[in-house]
Amino acid sequence: MKISLRWLSDYIDINDYFTKTAELSALLTGAGLEVESIENLAAQYNHVVIGHILKKEQHPNADRLTLCQVATGDGVVHQIVCGARNHNEGDNVVVALPGAILPGGFLIKHSKIRGVESGGMLCSKKELGLPDDGVDGIVLLPKDAPVGKPFAQYMGFDDILLDLKVTANRADCLSHFGLAREIACLLGREVKFPIETMTEQGSTREQIKLSLVASDMCPRYTGRGIRGVKVGPSPQWLQKRLEAVGMNTINNVVDATNFVMMELGQPLHAFDASKLLGKQVIVDRSKPGEKFTTLDGTELTLDGTELTIRDAERAVVLAGVIGGKNSGVDETTTDIFLEAAFFLPSAVRRTARKFGIETDSSYRFARGTNPEAVALALNRCAQIIQKVAGGEILGEAYDLYPNRIAREPIEISLQTITDRLGFKVNADEFAMWMKRLGCEVNVNVQTSSTSPAWSILPPLFRWDLSVDMDLIEEFARLHGYQHIPESIPALESMPATDELSYRVEERIRRILQGEGCLQAINYAFLSAQFQQETLGSLDKLKALGLRTGAEPVALMNPLNEEIGAMRTSLMPGLIKNLIYNSRNGNPYGRLFELGFGHFKDGGDYPQEARLGFAFWGQEPNLWSKSNAPTVVALKGVVENMLRELGFAKWKWVALNSQTAPDFVHPGQAASLVLEGKSIGFIGTLHPSLATEHKVRETSAVGELLLEKLVASQPRPLKYQPISKMPAVDRDLAFVMPKELPVQDVEAEMRKTAGDLLKDVRVFDVYEGTGLQPGQRSVAFRLLFQAKDATLEDAQINELRDKVVKAASDKFGITLR
Amino acid sequence: MEKLPKSFNISGMLKEKIEEIRAAAHAAFAKAPTAKELYDAKVQFLGKQGSFSSIMKEMGKLSADEKPAFGKLVNEVKQGLEAFYSERESALKSGELAAQLAAETLDLSLPSSVEAPGARHPISLVIEEISSILGRLGYSVRTGPLIEKDRYNFEGLNFPPDHPARDMQDTFYIDKEHVLRTHTSPIQVRTMELENPPLRVIGVGPVFRADSDISHSPNFHQIEGLCVDRKVSMADLKGTISFFVREYFGKDLKTRFRPSFFPFTEPSAEVDCSCPICIGKGYIGNEPCRMCKTSGWIEIGGSGLVHPNVLKFAGVSYPEWQGFAFGFGVERMAIIKYGIDDIRLFNENDVRFLRQFSV
Repeated sequence: MKISLRWLSDYIDINDYFTKTAELSALLTGAGLEVESIENLAAQYNHVVIGHILKKEQHPNADRLTLCQVATGDGVVHQIVCGARNHNEGDNVVVALPGAILPGGFLIKHSKIRGVESGGMLCSKKELGLPDDGVDGIVLLPKDAPVGKPFAQYMGFDDILLDLKVTANRADCLSHFGLAREIACLLGREVKFPIETMTEQGSTREQIKLSLVASDMCPRYTGRGIRGVKVGPSPQWLQKRLEAVGMNTINNVVDATNFVMMELGQPLHAFDASKLLGKQVIVDRSKPGEKFTTLDGTELTLDGTELTIRDAERAVVLAGVIGGKNSGVDETTTDIFLEAAFFLPSAVRRTARKFGIETDSSYRFARGTNPEAVALALNRCAQIIQKVAGGEILGEAYDLYPNRIAREPIEISLQTITDRLGFKVNADEFAMWMKRLGCEVNVNVQTSSTSPAWSILPPLFRWDLSVDMDLIEEFARLHGYQHIPESIPALESMPATDELSYRVEERIRRILQGEGCLQAINYAFLSAQFQQETLGSLDKLKALGLRTGAEPVALMNPLNEEIGAMRTSLMPGLIKNLIYNSRNGNPYGRLFELGFGHFKDGGDYPQEARLGFAFWGQEPNLWSKSNAPTVVALKGVVENMLRELGFAKWKWVALNSQTAPDFVHPGQAASLVLEGKSIGFIGTLHPSLATEHKVRETSAVGELLLEKLVASQPRPLKYQPISKMPAVDRDLAFVMPKELPVQDVEAEMRKTAGDLLKDVRVFDVYEGTGLQPGQRSVAFRLLFQAKDATLEDAQINELRDKVVKAASDKFGITLR
Repeated sequence: MEKLPKSFNISGMLKEKIEEIRAAAHAAFAKAPTAKELYDAKVQFLGKQGSFSSIMKEMGKLSADEKPAFGKLVNEVKQGLEAFYSERESALKSGELAAQLAAETLDLSLPSSVEAPGARHPISLVIEEISSILGRLGYSVRTGPLIEKDRYNFEGLNFPPDHPARDMQDTFYIDKEHVLRTHTSPIQVRTMELENPPLRVIGVGPVFRADSDISHSPNFHQIEGLCVDRKVSMADLKGTISFFVREYFGKDLKTRFRPSFFPFTEPSAEVDCSCPICIGKGYIGNEPCRMCKTSGWIEIGGSGLVHPNVLKFAGVSYPEWQGFAFGFGVERMAIIKYGIDDIRLFNENDVRFLRQFSV
């Protein structure tokens, strides 16, 4: 909210703070009214003065420029080159001297223009940051303009503007008088409001018949007529006030209502009385289906719940929010019915939110205005209208306030204040601040305890004060947060442990970091279309153990469709990252992400924790020229992670075109089976997807159900004694069909050989010359070792033969 | 031993023969270029089938008087050669080792075979560091759903329906009763409903606001602390946060509390800490500090005593139990801590950015 210091000075003496704005800012910020910026209107016209053109000649080297001798008082004359054409000798002008920084940051310096010295600039309105009136050339001031006077002083630009961040609880500070009252409390100064006597003629009741029907939403409604006004532009003083706080001027009547709103925080509305059909004003709910056109031309359909101000036939105002096109004040208006009311904050907010209309009026009503100040504001506004637009103020004003709003006193003890703030509070200081706030303070004599206690009645303009904690906060901020000591509470509870999912995620992050992976974080929402296009068939994902939803959970009010729906999988986001990196010249990388899939389930929106991967390219390495496919590297990373998490057993099941997700290569994909259930998959990014997005690097992606990794309890680690007996190895190379998984052959060998077979390792895979098409040779190294005996050659060979026979019998494969 | 001892009176021929072999062996040892050839020469002269073994067979021809002297002579000659051999052997071996070492010199400035390190996202670094600092004060981590019921996101936190405080947070709606949580505070309500006080918990995770510009992301992270105990005060809150700031940003940094308003705390305070970039000076040399814009302070979060309505809503008996809470924006912390100057970097997942956090 913009605050003018000049305007504030109408109610409180703060002249000393015009030169100490930083102190004022610290005072307000320290009291919870954060000053976001300070604008000194005079400062932007430093070194800008009124000058008088003594002499005007043609510039010797330029046809379009003139050379002026400009006096700025005290006998000082400046030579200034000027490009304008509207000035003459004897004119009074605005001169920006060297050192001036004009609005927009334009610094004026001594310079040479086309070989001639120029010591300043003659300014146009635009250069001065003033509203452009369409006149070409520099500003010409009247003959009596005092030469040499600072321009800011001449124009009355001597104000200082504060931009104040008023929190939602401090509706009482949304006006100049309200803020003056707050400053008076902080500084212990007087605050005064100008009350003038009002002359009334005639009767409001003869002009308009008022009825308050919906008093549940409008506890108080006041109204008064003004007759014979002349609508036109506002006088300078009024325009300047409104412009200073960033409001547009409309006409003198509307400006007067806005002035009082900015002065007292009470929004008002002026009706053209002649437009009120049946000479009636009714405060009531709308009619269902009723149309209402706002004064800016938007047509709304009302539903019967909104509070409206109506005439005999129709809604004329959406109460507290915005006026109607059908009843506003315009140039032809002569008779006015002026409204000031207290509307229920929730009623105004509901209507404003529903139609997405926020006005200065709805903003204030929604935060809570002061019901006691309604009549004061009405009369103040009537007087100002009379002052700026003439006319007669009608007597017999309305003031319908059927159930006066009362406040309950708040009971509070010094002990409570001391306990909550953590230091010994002085009783007198507390009572002093409460009084300065405008509270009625009564010492509670009935308390039996030795600690003083009070019964405190807050002023009606402080709607936010209703319980003891509210008063403790008031005291704390007035006493100063900086004066509260610091302590650390003693730990009485047993320290609990982190939630399991957080701990496992933290471990996974560290494990994967060790595997050379980079953690990605994507938005939890993404384009629904991109998700659906990328993921393809959801049934396949579901069969792999990942939850799916027919369509992503959509946001009702997304910022845009690109981030319009919650993720059902981490894959689309990671694939996007992969494409982004590939396009931005990052030829290799390993990303992982911990996140959620979101789904709709009846009226609930469950989330499923996931771990996703996207690997692409290969780091060029001096030492290993391995051409292992990216997806194999991904498999290794997943296995290392499982091992480090404490899992000993898992299985990969090859996928095919029927089972692999649509975005992976059907021949290079596998699902991960843990404890008998698929918990996700890995696979090479589908070549057509890679081509479509111009990803040249071989890429692999994968997604796992994180919940399973968290919830499955790996078997506790148990030590195995190291055998001291010699180990013997035997190499076997089988020729086998390419589609036979090596994992199955290995399992069969282990099963057949039993405990004596300590380890099986694949050390070579060969395809090509010497082998039938579709066949490959896989070389295994088998390591045999007994716990307590040296194995004889014969024994090992027998075992080897048994293994070979079992594999041959089961898979029909032979030794190479 | 260049020559045979003179004192021996042995058959001249044998003596000459010994001298011949000795001289030949000595010459062979002396010129053998490698340890291997030296060894071969040793076998040739001193081995079981070697020259000296053959000459010993001649001993039978000598008289009983001459035998001891002969044996002695041969032994002396052999010992002499053995000594010479050892001398040569160690000289050759050390030469060979030196040559091997020289040949095997590696350029260790070459890159290692280990792949580029991975990294945690800076958001995770901030969360883990803050959690571990607060962990020392007895706080432990809790999380919660991102799609949150109005009841937990607003109502339970003292935002009544149609209250203007709801406008403080631009909210994404899923349906009438569900929102994308606008803060991590719903975790407080959920924890208090489930667990009995005293409590010291950290709520952490992504949050959402319908607001997007150069300094606001619609999807960011918060981390907050909640302490519920029989007697907690503003002084405890201040002490806890000041401890945190010193641990996280540095021991010289100060903390400042400004009155503010949040529906779920009262009294409420904004928390500023002295700018860690310029150490609260506002200027770095003569240059204005870009982080704090010369104020010397930066805003890091909000805090306050838990509003009685919040405790009561979650079934915690007030005033028997009281609490304080404080929260920070995680991206903001990362921006301050790591000097990140563009919030888009957090979610682009460009590996050139992420690789910088391999700590």
